[in-house]
Amino acid sequence: MITDPCILNDVTRCIGCEECVAACKRINGLPEEDPPPRVGQSKDGLSSTRWTSILRRTGGVNVRKQCRHCLEPACVSVCPVGALKKTPEGPVVYDKSVCMGCRYCMMGCPYGIPHYEWNTVNPSIRKCILCHEKLKSGEIDRPACVTACPKEATVFGSRDEMLAEARRRLEAEPGTYLQHIWGEHEVGGTSVLYISHVDLGFLAWQDPKFLGVEPLPERTWSALKKVPFEFVGMATFMTAAWWIIDRRMRLQGEEGAGGDRDHDEPGGSADEGGEQ
Amino acid sequence: MTRRVQITKGILWFISGLAAAVTIVRFTRGLGTTTALSDTTPWGLWVGFDVMGGVALAAGGFVIGAIAHVFQRERYHHAVRPAILTALLGYAAVAVGLIYDLGLPWNIWHPLIFWNPHSPLFEVAWCVMTYLGILFLEFLPVFLERTRFQALYRTLLRLQLPLIILGISVSTLHQSSLGTLLLIMPFRLHPLWYTPHLPELFFVSAICLGLVMVIFESSVTAWLYEREPHTDMLAGLSRFAAGALAFYLAFRFFDLWHHGKLGLAFENTFEVRLFWFEIAISAVIPLVLFLIPRVRRSHTGVFIAAALGVMGFLLNRIDASGLAQVWATGADYFPEWTEFVVSFGIVSFFALIYLFIQEHFPVEKEIVDEEERWLQRQLFVLPRFDRGSQVWLGDATFASRRVYSALFVVALVVGLALTPWQPLVKASPVQRARGGEMLRVGYPLGTVMFPHGEHITRLGKEACGTCHHLHKPGDVGTPCSECHADLYLDTTIFDHVRHVAVLEGNASCAKCHPEGQPKVRATARKCSSCHEKDMMAANTVATRFESLAAPGLRRAAHGICIECHRREAANPEWKKPDLFRCATCHKTPVPHVQELRLLRAEGGETAPVAAGS
Repeated sequence: MITDPCILNDVTRCIGCEECVAACKRINGLPEEDPPPRVGQSKDGLSSTRWTSILRRTGGVNVRKQCRHCLEPACVSVCPVGALKKTPEGPVVYDKSVCMGCRYCMMGCPYGIPHYEWNTVNPSIRKCILCHEKLKSGEIDRPACVTACPKEATVFGSRDEMLAEARRRLEAEPGTYLQHIWGEHEVGGTSVLYISHVDLGFLAWQDPKFLGVEPLPERTWSALKKVPFEFVGMATFMTAAWWIIDRRMRLQGEEGAGGDRDHDEPGGSADEGGEQ
Repeated sequence: MTRRVQITKGILWFISGLAAAVTIVRFTRGLGTTTALSDTTPWGLWVGFDVMGGVALAAGGFVIGAIAHVFQRERYHHAVRPAILTALLGYAAVAVGLIYDLGLPWNIWHPLIFWNPHSPLFEVAWCVMTYLGILFLEFLPVFLERTRFQALYRTLLRLQLPLIILGISVSTLHQSSLGTLLLIMPFRLHPLWYTPHLPELFFVSAICLGLVMVIFESSVTAWLYEREPHTDMLAGLSRFAAGALAFYLAFRFFDLWHHGKLGLAFENTFEVRLFWFEIAISAVIPLVLFLIPRVRRSHTGVFIAAALGVMGFLLNRIDASGLAQVWATGADYFPEWTEFVVSFGIVSFFALIYLFIQEHFPVEKEIVDEEERWLQRQLFVLPRFDRGSQVWLGDATFASRRVYSALFVVALVVGLALTPWQPLVKASPVQRARGGEMLRVGYPLGTVMFPHGEHITRLGKEACGTCHHLHKPGDVGTPCSECHADLYLDTTIFDHVRHVAVLEGNASCAKCHPEGQPKVRATARKCSSCHEKDMMAANTVATRFESLAAPGLRRAAHGICIECHRREAANPEWKKPDLFRCATCHKTPVPHVQELRLLRAEGGETAPVAAGS
């Protein structure tokens, strides 16, 4: 298996035949019938049993939506138990046996990719896994959706190859494409790239320009890495504050010789050994 | 026990009963049945109120601990035990709330062994578990004080200060980490709430909420047990609260100004109105009230200010974890009533535990002593008997417990009767279309443009039965939408009431239900035995007509159309091998209703979205 697998979607070539969707369902053993949509669900067509879908935009534009397999995935960084993992090869995969169902990954994904099995008591997170296991075992040489595409609108290779291919297509027909590769830099880069003749900002909750190129996990890590210092700092501050106040009150008590703090003494005297 | 306590307990038991009913459905049918959550809104009321709000509400424990033990303000020692009890029960309630909200609650212990230190939630989980343990040790002396385990009691008292300092440090971490939780979603959270300083902001607001919660709770307990609240303690706490609220306001607006977002606060959107409402009831109004000396001295005034503050900061947590994200997702999530019942049910249940502990252990000595005196007085009350049956009516405690049990059971039954057992899904009604050249089907309207006229020309008039497998009595060519009335959901098409009416009343049961057999669907005569002429014999679907529910139009149409298209695609004569593929019917462009509206508003051009770099 190639390292750093990557999919390049060419929006100009997609005819919206949904062969990729059917192939995805077949290879992953997903039922043909999707669960009915829930109230307030976004209308992108993805569901727990449909890991890739075709967004049909006005003007005959078809855009395939699927997991972007970010280089630094937000979903992996927020999972408190590490049920979602970025494999050494690249795809982001899910381990049901570890998951506790907090759905933080669904909140953290800027593209709204992870979907949930709402209608069962033993639900899983479901999303595209880039056919990881079958690729790894060598059963198939490229993801099922890529194999199924009749128009080469979606092609597969290593990330460098795909970036080169994208640039080649952009240069070959500069009039056709917008000169931008979606997924090259957004949120630290993704392993599913898009080239297109229309703006693809709608693939994310917010325009990728808004998200920036800084990986999302860095936003939380910058706060989380301070945690040990905060803990030690707060404990020290509180102990010091207590010590100073206690000493002052004791001195005052000796001066006034009428301390009414007997109530507090047991806790106070024990502490010097306790907190240091 | 006062009348107020009894009525309050009755209400709390009733809500707990309702919640118990929903609990049964939640754990046998899953989240989809009891919540309005969706893939677009995966966190709802249970996270916003029970977890985010619960943790913040319990902040009183560490704030009062700091004031009374670390800064050694004697006056607030009364408040320590109730505050720690609230914190302990608050965190326990958070854990219970999590069990409801987690999809796989039996894995709730997984953060213990599966580590991901990069996740804020992992940090929160560890802190909450640790702090729950610390709080238990902090509160244990109250249980032991009037028992014979005096040695252990004294040891724990000596450990009180280290425990409290440890508790403060752990609280600092997870109160702020709840803010860190939202740092990952700049794309969901509205800029008025999102800031890189969310952790600090959450910590400050937790201190505010902790203070107003202690004030609120002391006022309520005093009112319930009909005794005088500690006026100067409340006045002192109010002064602290005023300071904290002022700092919070200054911090929040400085942060907005610093990031150049102050202008956003003066637009006219839902979020801006929400923002000002939240700021007003959480901080501004309580701050103003607390600053007036006369209000600080009045029980009602302090209570109102504190109650507003509690609601305001709870709203802040709910906004941050849900309401202020609608802006990005466009989801119209509103909690199901079952979600409210569970949230309030958990609060009610833990409020009952709180009252129980107050009445049986020396949390506030006046209450437990009064309770003991009341129980002793009961020994001198003559037993009461029913005049007719001479059955003992029980003492007052027994009688009130009987009422509570009755209320709980009634609520449980009512809840079970009302709670839906099927997943909550959106009804997507199918637009009625009849005859004509082109039928627009699907939801949103027009997902598929069905060339009805072309099909008639191609297949011939006599072939109607190929698709129309069933007519309503007295009708021909009954449209699909008549039975397949929803795009996804099954529709019941059998109308029992109508059958009874048409077949001349109750005497006609035997026309469908054979004598001597139970009158159920399974034993009733087949519909086809009467409705033979309404079914198109040519159609295979008609023979499958046994269920009294019509499947959703999506399934039905896919079943009929694709079957036929596949057959015709295999026919080499037509040279249309792709006839069965999705795009044959699902042609582009498929105008979504929303986009159509937008386009119409803009002047109706289908130009592609403007270019971006």
